[in-house]
Amino acid sequence: MRKSIVASLTGISMAVLLSGCFTSKEAVKNEEPVVPAVTAEKVVPASPSEVAKAAETAKAAETAKVVESAKVAQAEADKKVALQNAKNATTENKFEAVYFDFDKSDIRQDARDVLSKNADLILKSTSVGNIQVAGHCDDRGSAEYNMALGEKRAKSVQKYLTTIGVNAEKLSVISYGKEKPAVKGDDEAAWAKNRRAELAIIK
Amino acid sequence: MKIFLLLLFFTVSPALLNAQSGYIEVNAPGSRLLKLAVETPLSLDSPPVNLEFVKPVSGVIAFDMNMSGVVTAESLPPQPNAKKAAPSDADFVLWQNAGFDLLVRGEYTISEERLTIEFRLFDVINRKLIIAKRYLGTAKDLRRFTHSFSDEILRAITSEKGVFTTRIAYVSTQTGNKEIYVMDWDGHNPLPLTKNGSINLNPDFSPDGREIIFTSYKRGNPDLYRRSLSSTAEIVLSNRTGLNITGTWSPDGNKIALALSKDGDAEIYTLDKDGRHPTRLTINPALDLYPAWSPDGKQIAFVSDRLGKPQIFVMNADGGDVRRLTTSGSYNVNPRWSPKGDKIAYSRMVNGSFNLFSIALDGTSDSQLTTDGNNENPSWSADSRFICFSSKRGGNDGVYVMRADGTGQVKVSQGKGLFFQPVWSAH
Repeated sequence: MRKSIVASLTGISMAVLLSGCFTSKEAVKNEEPVVPAVTAEKVVPASPSEVAKAAETAKAAETAKVVESAKVAQAEADKKVALQNAKNATTENKFEAVYFDFDKSDIRQDARDVLSKNADLILKSTSVGNIQVAGHCDDRGSAEYNMALGEKRAKSVQKYLTTIGVNAEKLSVISYGKEKPAVKGDDEAAWAKNRRAELAIIK
Repeated sequence: MKIFLLLLFFTVSPALLNAQSGYIEVNAPGSRLLKLAVETPLSLDSPPVNLEFVKPVSGVIAFDMNMSGVVTAESLPPQPNAKKAAPSDADFVLWQNAGFDLLVRGEYTISEERLTIEFRLFDVINRKLIIAKRYLGTAKDLRRFTHSFSDEILRAITSEKGVFTTRIAYVSTQTGNKEIYVMDWDGHNPLPLTKNGSINLNPDFSPDGREIIFTSYKRGNPDLYRRSLSSTAEIVLSNRTGLNITGTWSPDGNKIALALSKDGDAEIYTLDKDGRHPTRLTINPALDLYPAWSPDGKQIAFVSDRLGKPQIFVMNADGGDVRRLTTSGSYNVNPRWSPKGDKIAYSRMVNGSFNLFSIALDGTSDSQLTTDGNNENPSWSADSRFICFSSKRGGNDGVYVMRADGTGQVKVSQGKGLFFQPVWSAH
């Protein structure tokens, strides 16, 4: 019983957080929403009736809100913001993506900082289940080679997270190669956003 | 739903089939290519029944034969007085005066659903019948009958078995997802195979052409599946942890080579055809993938970035004697061994764009085959005469076919969506 309440709280807090991101903080850089994510978890449990709701309901609401706000953003905001929101919508989580250099799978300095924050989220939360690290590539290079490269990136992230304290058994990897670009485009700006690894909680 | 193909040999006199391979003099005077006229088929019914759907068949033969590169062919209306199966002397004179060396005449009759079509190939200069075939079936068999006669023409001229009735499997996005399809070699009769809404990649035909293997994310992980072309049942061949990608059937059909990452990074393995008993062939911290069997099954070419960038290597089928094949270019992928065994086609990326090359097994004769747009995933026809590949040239990514020397490049895929990773069936 206690466990399920905690789970609901987390679900609701994520929903609040995400909807907050899209309404008031569209222009905020993607590094920043991480901090409110932690605080929100403690602030939200105000309404006992909401707490009683099942975790699935919160989850559904979250998805609906994300989709809805992503639509609005597509229509109104500038392209960058829209694409960022779309990315958030697809990852459906509070973890930040990390990015790689062309044809490389080593963890850059900026990625180390992001992964430290992600690791904190994982370590501090009692509700985070297993995490899947998905490796992606930009659309240059062969689809097959990129499949292997994407996996190498995901495994670099997996390895880095375990070296900073995340339980290796919580982490699995998958590669999508260049099959699931975060953004469209044939320029370095797009490629840089697509060479990435994303963390997601797997149900 | 079964298609029946009835081939009736007839009229070919023993004298013409005097067991000599390459019956026709291939070299025309002045070493120009022989010229072939393909007449629009005539109706033998009386009164004549003009069927619009029969008309294109002369164009089908002309396309096949032009692509073959052994003749130049034109689809033309019959000579005005042509009425009979056998051309008159006057007909021959007209074709000869028009500069043609060879003539295909077609005739058909239709009764209810049953179509009978006959094709005859004539030597215009010597006014002789070279080969004739009659096909019985329905309208939907017509293109296959016609391609089958193209094979006969090619055999008569070169004594080689043609590939005009073979098919190409490929990935297309026309539903919005990457699904596997199969089509005739010339792009007609596309048929969807997978419909799972997931990501499906890298189809490969079994040597008998009846099955394919492919990688799909339909259950989350990139796993290798096998299915028959005639059923929708798909069985998992390999769902080991990590990648199960770039699977390819051995020439004898008993094994499958693929890249697995179950032991860390992508490495080449072989499996039994039922997916069991993985045997690891490469042991290297680099990425190893995209195996390609030699036609005798004794060697495997593959891609590895063990020297920093992806290059093509060759090893024995047991993993021994690894040697580097490509030495030019900094990004070489997609090796495919020619069925004749003498060459490997591959794609090389320069400045972000791929072009196709072929190289001899000793690393010489490294020749560029394409120059236009982005060209990937070459796959040989069973007779090594053609290569199909995916290409993006201005418009959308399509499936193209060319001769193995890079001439005659033509887009064959039709319809909406992007087309990737074509693979040519065996005979």
